[in-house]
Amino acid sequence: MTQAAPLLQVEGLRKFFTVKRGFPNPRTVTVRALDGVDFGVREGEAFGLVGESGCGKSTAGRALLRLIEPDEGRVRFRDTDVLALDRQALRALRRKIQIVFQDPYASLNPKRLVGKALAEPMRVHGLAEGRALAERVRALLDEVGLPPEAAERYPHEFSGGQRQRIGIARALSVEPELVVADEPVSALDVSIQAQVLLLLRGLQDKRGLSYLFVSHDLGVVRWFCQGVAVMYLGRIVERGPLPQMFDEPLHPYTQTLRAASPVPDPRARVTMVRIEGEVPSASAPPPGCHFHPRCPHATERCRVEYPAWKEMGQGRGVACHLYDR
Amino acid sequence: MAEAPALSVQGLTTEFRIGGQWHAAIRGIDFDLGKNETLALVGESGCGKSITALSIMGLIPKAAGRIAAGKILFEGQDLAQLDEEHLREIRGDRIAMIFQEPMTSLNPVLTIGFQVAEALRYHRGMSQAEARTHALELLEQVKIPSARQRLDDYPHQFSGGMRQRVMIAMALACKPQILLADEPTTALDVTIQAQVLLLLAELKQLYGMSMIFISHNLGVVATIADRVAVMYAGEIVETAAVGDLFDRPTHPYTEALLSSIPRVDRTSDTLMAIPGQVPAINRMPGGCRYAPRCALRQPVCERPPALAPVSGSAPTHLARCWVRAGGDR
Repeated sequence: MTQAAPLLQVEGLRKFFTVKRGFPNPRTVTVRALDGVDFGVREGEAFGLVGESGCGKSTAGRALLRLIEPDEGRVRFRDTDVLALDRQALRALRRKIQIVFQDPYASLNPKRLVGKALAEPMRVHGLAEGRALAERVRALLDEVGLPPEAAERYPHEFSGGQRQRIGIARALSVEPELVVADEPVSALDVSIQAQVLLLLRGLQDKRGLSYLFVSHDLGVVRWFCQGVAVMYLGRIVERGPLPQMFDEPLHPYTQTLRAASPVPDPRARVTMVRIEGEVPSASAPPPGCHFHPRCPHATERCRVEYPAWKEMGQGRGVACHLYDR
Repeated sequence: MAEAPALSVQGLTTEFRIGGQWHAAIRGIDFDLGKNETLALVGESGCGKSITALSIMGLIPKAAGRIAAGKILFEGQDLAQLDEEHLREIRGDRIAMIFQEPMTSLNPVLTIGFQVAEALRYHRGMSQAEARTHALELLEQVKIPSARQRLDDYPHQFSGGMRQRVMIAMALACKPQILLADEPTTALDVTIQAQVLLLLAELKQLYGMSMIFISHNLGVVATIADRVAVMYAGEIVETAAVGDLFDRPTHPYTEALLSSIPRVDRTSDTLMAIPGQVPAINRMPGGCRYAPRCALRQPVCERPPALAPVSGSAPTHLARCWVRAGGDR
């Protein structure tokens, strides 16, 4: 793998939310959704962000697009400092970076024809109009495997898999270079999931698209991505290339996730390990290493000191005291 | 197999009314659930796996649905023939069910102690104090930390995984012979899913229960099931012991389903997608229901195939396919 300059580089990205919680006496708590996150996506690469609910993976995808304004950090897309852009420049940038959501139905206007929904971004960005616009809508539908008649129908007339195709077509309409795909196949049945994954992979090859692929499913990430970062309570605990990282996970949390991911093979059930405890709240992460209350290798040091990031060679890195020397 | 099954479902057909016409959501479902056995019903959305469980529990909404044919034999009674009053005596007592989304199945304004105790007071006539003591034991059994303090908490104070444990405690309150678990871990993160699966397996052993485990996830099924029935478009298309099914998937649908799963434990370049989608309930093909999506389709598939033994596999391995398990052909 060549060390080309990354298309997207994220450094020290931080986002804290303050929320009021509790009834009848609400208290203000700070949720540390993103607590200093670093990763990069290379040109043509699909890079995965994995972790369980509340780990901050979706917030990361939104914060780098400034759909949520991050508190701190740096986001570079090619030579652009994303966090320094004014509104107009940001809008222009969003042509280059698009997002696909888990539930496309929630992000499509139910009263608007699919053809109109696909045409709008192209009109907004001044990419086409009139006959050329209709032509491009047809070409987009064809590219995602939908018939041209789909343009004259409403979102509710489509199945979940077809709606996700519409969501993908809309993202492609402005010819982005990077697509942030936030759990794009999680709501789909496996046979439909495979159709959509194959579509996304095909677009990667054909258009040279890059992806930031946010998912909780390690199997999907292994198949789709070339690199991955594992998040736990707002921080990246391990990062590296695939499949190496899932074949020999270094961080005890990655090991736990890997062991808990079910495999369609009854002989693999013996590896079902006993996993202690639940994910703590991001508003009150444990002191020291966030994972130590659930970690089988936790020592005294893990209880007090958050482990520093260590580069392990071959593009791999981990934040765990086990790898100190 | 000499022992009488805990539950025997024979030719079960449940229909729903759509636009004034009755259409079968499940058709001719046959299976025996052995004592202490875990049978997994697996398939994609709309295959009828949940309708099968709801039919067994007598929970098909009367306004739009009906059990049109078949028997559900449990302890010498046909549940399909029982009226609501008799069904209510069995439900939550000898047959219990847990659902995918524990929050919608728990009452938000009642403490969990009350809700776990409720079945004991209703079915066993226990006093409030007695039922409460018993509820505490149950919460400890499902490993809710500091259960005594949590008895008077409300559902919203629990995490998703803990709510599912509460649901399990409620279901087990009356020591049921059969537990129906409908996607009980689907809404949970993988590490919590692993904990709940382990807990269910332990409790099944402890209580000597039989379990029908409904899932869309073949990985989860491989982990927990003794026997598997794969459903497609309202029918069982293949059934076998868990080892036989994963070693020799025979129905083209089972095979396709297995090769459409991206696996975490191995690198596979090929991912197979199944073209098209499941036919709508009112537009079922007359012959094999999978034929329109099947790569092995032949003229004979215009006629509906029956479940037939798979040659070269165990006698309990059956598939509904003219091409792969043709039987008389």
